[in-house]
Amino acid sequence: MIAEVKPTATATLTLDGVEVSFTEGETIYEVAERAGREVPTLCYDARLEAFGGCRLCVVEVDGMRAPVASCTTPATAGMVVKTTTDAIEKHRRTLLELVASENRENEVDELRGHASQELKSLLDRYEVRGGRFAGRQSGTSNSTDDNPFILRDYDLCISCYRCVRVCAEQEGDHAITMMNRGFEKQITTEFNGILKDSACTFCGQCVQTCPTGALGDRKAMRAESLPGEVEKTRTVCPYCGVGCSVDLLTKEDRLVGVQPAMDGPANEGALCIKGQFAFDFVQHEDRLKMPLVRDEDGELHETDWETALDRAADGFKKAAGEHGRHAVYGVASGRAPHEAAYTMQKFIRAGFGTHQIDNCSRA
Amino acid sequence: MSNPLADMEKPDLIFCIGTNMTECHPVAATRIKRALKRGAQMVVADPRRIPLAEMAELYLPIRVGSDVALLLGMAHVIARERLVDREFIDARTKDGEAFLEHVQQFTPEWAAGITGLPPADIERAALLYGRADKAAIYYTLGITEHICGVDNVQSLCNLALLTGNLGREGTGINPMRGQNNIQGAGDCGAVPANYPGFQPVHDPANGDKFAKLYGREMDGEKGITKVTALNRCGEGIHAMLIDGENTVVSDPDRHHCEHALRALDHLVVIDIFRTETAEFADVVLPATAWGETDGVCTNTERRVQRLRAAVTPPGEAKPDWWIVSQIAQRMSIAGFEFESAKDVFNELCGLSPIYAGLDWDRIEHGEYNWPVPHKDHPGTPVLHEGEFKNGRGLFRVICYRDPAEVVDDEFPVWLTTGRRLQAYHTRTQTGRAAGIDYLLSEESLEIHPDDLADWGIPDGGWASLRSRRGAIKIRARASNMSPRGTVFCSFSFSDVPVNILTGSGYDPVTETAELKVCPVNISPFEE
Amino acid sequence: MATNQELIEQWWKEEAPLLPLLHAFHDRDGFISEEAIRAVADGLKIPVAEVFGTVTFYHHFARKAPGQAAPRVCTGPACKYLGAPELLKSLEGATPMACAGRCDDGVPVLQGHEVRVGRTADSLEKTPSPLPPPNPGNVEECVFAHIREPERNTMEGYRGYEALEKARGMSRANLLALITDSHLAGRGGAGFPTGKKWEMVEQAEGEPKSIVCNADEGEPGCFKDRAILDYDPHAVIEGMAIAAHATGATKGFIYLRYEYPETFQIVERAMAEAEELLGDGFKLYLRRGGGAYICGEEGSLLNSLEGKHPFPRNRPPFPVTHGYNDLPTVVNNVETLASVAPIVMKGAEWYRGLGLGEHAGTKLVSVSGDIQRPGNFEAPFGLPLLTLLNEWCGGAPEGRSIQAVTMAGLSGGFLAGDDLDVTLDEPSIRAKGAFLGAAGIMVFDDTRDMVEVAHCAMEFFAEESCGKCFPCRIGTQRLTERLNGAAGPADETKWREEVHDIGRTMMATSACGLGVAAPNITESLVKYFPEQVAASLKNGR
Repeated sequence: MIAEVKPTATATLTLDGVEVSFTEGETIYEVAERAGREVPTLCYDARLEAFGGCRLCVVEVDGMRAPVASCTTPATAGMVVKTTTDAIEKHRRTLLELVASENRENEVDELRGHASQELKSLLDRYEVRGGRFAGRQSGTSNSTDDNPFILRDYDLCISCYRCVRVCAEQEGDHAITMMNRGFEKQITTEFNGILKDSACTFCGQCVQTCPTGALGDRKAMRAESLPGEVEKTRTVCPYCGVGCSVDLLTKEDRLVGVQPAMDGPANEGALCIKGQFAFDFVQHEDRLKMPLVRDEDGELHETDWETALDRAADGFKKAAGEHGRHAVYGVASGRAPHEAAYTMQKFIRAGFGTHQIDNCSRA
Repeated sequence: MSNPLADMEKPDLIFCIGTNMTECHPVAATRIKRALKRGAQMVVADPRRIPLAEMAELYLPIRVGSDVALLLGMAHVIARERLVDREFIDARTKDGEAFLEHVQQFTPEWAAGITGLPPADIERAALLYGRADKAAIYYTLGITEHICGVDNVQSLCNLALLTGNLGREGTGINPMRGQNNIQGAGDCGAVPANYPGFQPVHDPANGDKFAKLYGREMDGEKGITKVTALNRCGEGIHAMLIDGENTVVSDPDRHHCEHALRALDHLVVIDIFRTETAEFADVVLPATAWGETDGVCTNTERRVQRLRAAVTPPGEAKPDWWIVSQIAQRMSIAGFEFESAKDVFNELCGLSPIYAGLDWDRIEHGEYNWPVPHKDHPGTPVLHEGEFKNGRGLFRVICYRDPAEVVDDEFPVWLTTGRRLQAYHTRTQTGRAAGIDYLLSEESLEIHPDDLADWGIPDGGWASLRSRRGAIKIRARASNMSPRGTVFCSFSFSDVPVNILTGSGYDPVTETAELKVCPVNISPFEE
Repeated sequence: MATNQELIEQWWKEEAPLLPLLHAFHDRDGFISEEAIRAVADGLKIPVAEVFGTVTFYHHFARKAPGQAAPRVCTGPACKYLGAPELLKSLEGATPMACAGRCDDGVPVLQGHEVRVGRTADSLEKTPSPLPPPNPGNVEECVFAHIREPERNTMEGYRGYEALEKARGMSRANLLALITDSHLAGRGGAGFPTGKKWEMVEQAEGEPKSIVCNADEGEPGCFKDRAILDYDPHAVIEGMAIAAHATGATKGFIYLRYEYPETFQIVERAMAEAEELLGDGFKLYLRRGGGAYICGEEGSLLNSLEGKHPFPRNRPPFPVTHGYNDLPTVVNNVETLASVAPIVMKGAEWYRGLGLGEHAGTKLVSVSGDIQRPGNFEAPFGLPLLTLLNEWCGGAPEGRSIQAVTMAGLSGGFLAGDDLDVTLDEPSIRAKGAFLGAAGIMVFDDTRDMVEVAHCAMEFFAEESCGKCFPCRIGTQRLTERLNGAAGPADETKWREEVHDIGRTMMATSACGLGVAAPNITESLVKYFPEQVAASLKNGR
């Protein structure tokens, strides 16, 4: 039998004078990104359906009457695309000046959210410094929403609808919506209320995709005034078994927030309320800081490691000595890392030759 | 899970049973929602009208503990309608004929009598599952936390084997694991029947291998489970090392559990907080927490990923592996000269066949799902492709059994327990996270509004909840999620210790407690 | 009074149920309450927040009493000079609405399901919309050929559907060839060849296919579709049925603007009369909009029909492959569809021959404003604009002269001075920087303040901008502010530079025609009336 020959992805287009190949279904934007072009955009989130709202990603395509939005235009064979002409760059600058003109401010602390610096970065890149296109500002902040997680500072909203779209497309919660039309457009919940009364699950996805910081992570923002730079450490969420990748935000050894890892293999940028907002048990004052041993008074008292470890070891030796090696039992954690579970089972097996070991999966 | 999380967006038919996924695995649930938007259909079986039920094509409000009956009824219809995958059964399974004969007696009408569902709905569920090209099953503790937990799981396997919904994209049997590294604890051998990598302890070859590795003779008999160990405290079990588990609050039958821990000569607890369980300990050792510890974890799809420390631990807290190693060294147990988490993990990889292709550096970006049998292996996102690990997929002949306790005149209401979105386990973590109380500050018992009225309890008033093992006081709340005659609460709040009530029975194989079924009596609380 | 459940039962299984269900609640209660929104969301399985957002998008859905019962007064560019602002003030509880398509005998006041017309509160009267006057040029007509016949809007008076019968006797290929050969093109303004569009739908994969009649005539100064549907609805239905036969479509929708309640009843009756004749193979549905200019844009219209937020859709894909419910769909304007039956009866050559010179066919033109005889006229393509204005319509009112006219309603911007010397066809008008489009022409005489007219026009675009794309959402607002002096530089050079920069970027980058066209207003204002701009800036407006 002769194997069916599949059409191979040999289609190419010309991008800024260079021939690049692409696969069917890719948009011009995706092709350009892959080719290392930094096409500016504010409404784009790779996880969402292309929207075509901000128009910053417009490019020139030979044969087209006007520039096209590269994020919504499929690449086609033989296309001749120019991503950066003088005319295009001028339109981008004008668009950014327009956007800058509708906000109270355009610079926010990076702790507000994962994408919060996008607008500011573009304004810097295009050297847009406000001033032109003065006029009314859009959006009304919801100051009545007292939830401790999500700041809703819509004075800074630029109506890119990434929050609405991430809530619908990525989370499937449909908690927020777009009210009214045109310049009066306002992101809100059903009946213009607060998030707690809506379908919101406080997953924080709206916050993390907001390119201006109009939506802010209120918990992380508590650390805005702390000294030091924000550092990020990639790890995995400590809650359920889905294993979402997150970036821990720290400032001088203080854990101040969490952001989802957009390239996390299990979550692809998604998180839930626990992974997003329930991180501060880590540096909670209730944490055990010193070993404790029970003294003759029957109470637990702080002590040093040597004393505590000796007490621990002696107790096991004694139990095994008096009641046999099967008298010692180990319960490993389903929340500690592999190294904990592995050493626990090795402790029982290498120490006593038994299999008196289990974990908490039966609870 | 037999299939990766990404596969959750690909089935034609999604069958969720005993999983409140939007609350317990919210991020996984987003994939289901996307599958539904794409046009997939969903059948949800759960005693409670959970959020997933609202999204389902067909919702089956089954009586608690009646899963086997439902699944037998579905198998009956699938067999009767000739929706079985003959080719798959012949090529890849064993005992199919016996099973097909067995299910002939279990009509939807029979199943209806036990589950309380209309026969037509059982029929429809079977047709939806049986006719789909790609059907995937998702379940959680609603399936396993029963005296018949193993029967439940095997009944689900029977359905998948019957229809060939295994070993392909968008299909499978997919348990959603509840804790971040509960899969890893098993992978690492922290179970009484298996060495690391699920190498059975009863296999002498494994015994020899580990005797060499660990430098001492190994028992050929498996150990006892934690449940049995707690039963034998003071009588056979005299010392315990508990790492990071708040046994007293999370386990069933709290009074029994407290009694057991008191009976020990020696209890060492490693934890990050002074938990209720730590209060029973002779020695409490402070561990470093998530965010302070380098290490490895495995998620529910068998993906092996790195955990990284970002901040310095408080006081003198130390990593669990260091603490255990220090105790071991003080007992002159060989092989605990680890200097880093990396050392520990690499030792594990060296002796676990499913991790043989991995090491600390290779899992930097988390792209491997085990088994990864050698260094050139790409990992195994989908299990059972081509063949089953043990040759053929086994059909099991299973019959329905009643729960350990059933409702009667004295305890006329079913209590089922579970989790809530905003709280995690016993709230040692979420209870200490700022803001969570804004959304969920106390536990309450969810009761159907009509029951609430019948029982004379005001919405928001206090109720007394009794089982054969004890009584607790709990706030009552009207909820349309609860069907009549069934109430729900979580075990997360220590001031509402619902596990005082539970613990009616255990699965004979896994010894998992029947936390999902507990007949209770409810009355207005009187001082 | 119907219960929530009864209303939902009535609609949830229907095609395109959201709008009619919202109207059912709106009609029952006079407004759309929270309870109604929840019931609709639950009934149609649409998230509550989404229904809420969609309801707020439409101008006419009231969310509290007196809601539908309160009068809405047209303050469109033509009516504004017919006393609309004074009328608005004199009617208790009245609110303004955008051009309501009655420019030829304004001012319309919409209240409940009734339009009354008059210049003062005392003179408001419910009268039928004006019938197109006999053709002043005495040229042969296509669409209006029979419209003046009595009872033409009834089945009896129509005496038609012969064309449908004839078309059904033809093969699809021959029918498509005939339409293509006639050079009939989209009369809503885009001018896409109708035969080609139908052919693409016929060849597209996916079923069922639909024919959508775009009767959301929202362009200020356009009221020709109203005339057709009021006086010759069967012509449109027949055109749709022929299109269905040509393409294999089995469903049809007429999407009618909210502001034509009487038209809704006329079309509804005509559809009932035609139902049997159309047969089971082609089911027709009438849907009423909620008041949103953007729903005249085909992507928005389709989203609106489907019950989605009425943003325009990204293109490609186009409706011919991904239209209603993402299936192949013809979206045609009322006038386009009304031209079909005569073409089928009289042939492609006949139709082509109706145009002047090399131009094929005719165009309905709505003329209003400062003109002696406003109304709808069927003109041959190629007719000189000045012939239409001065000879057909009698020119400016006594003692005044024409200062400027708008093209394509407002979208084409202004023509003035020597540039009025154009012929009615796209090449001629586009050469002057404007376009003919749907052919609404509003006339402004020499007493009008053109900066004020431009401001009124830009305010309309700003209010009707859907808010999806940045250049349009912000640009229309900023241009409006620059035209009324609310914001922007006082220095003329800087003012012109800002206005031009905004306009040029809007034209180049806007996502749909609204944002692309809106700056035609400012660009043509600056081009023809620089002194008025300068004076207005000097006066500190």
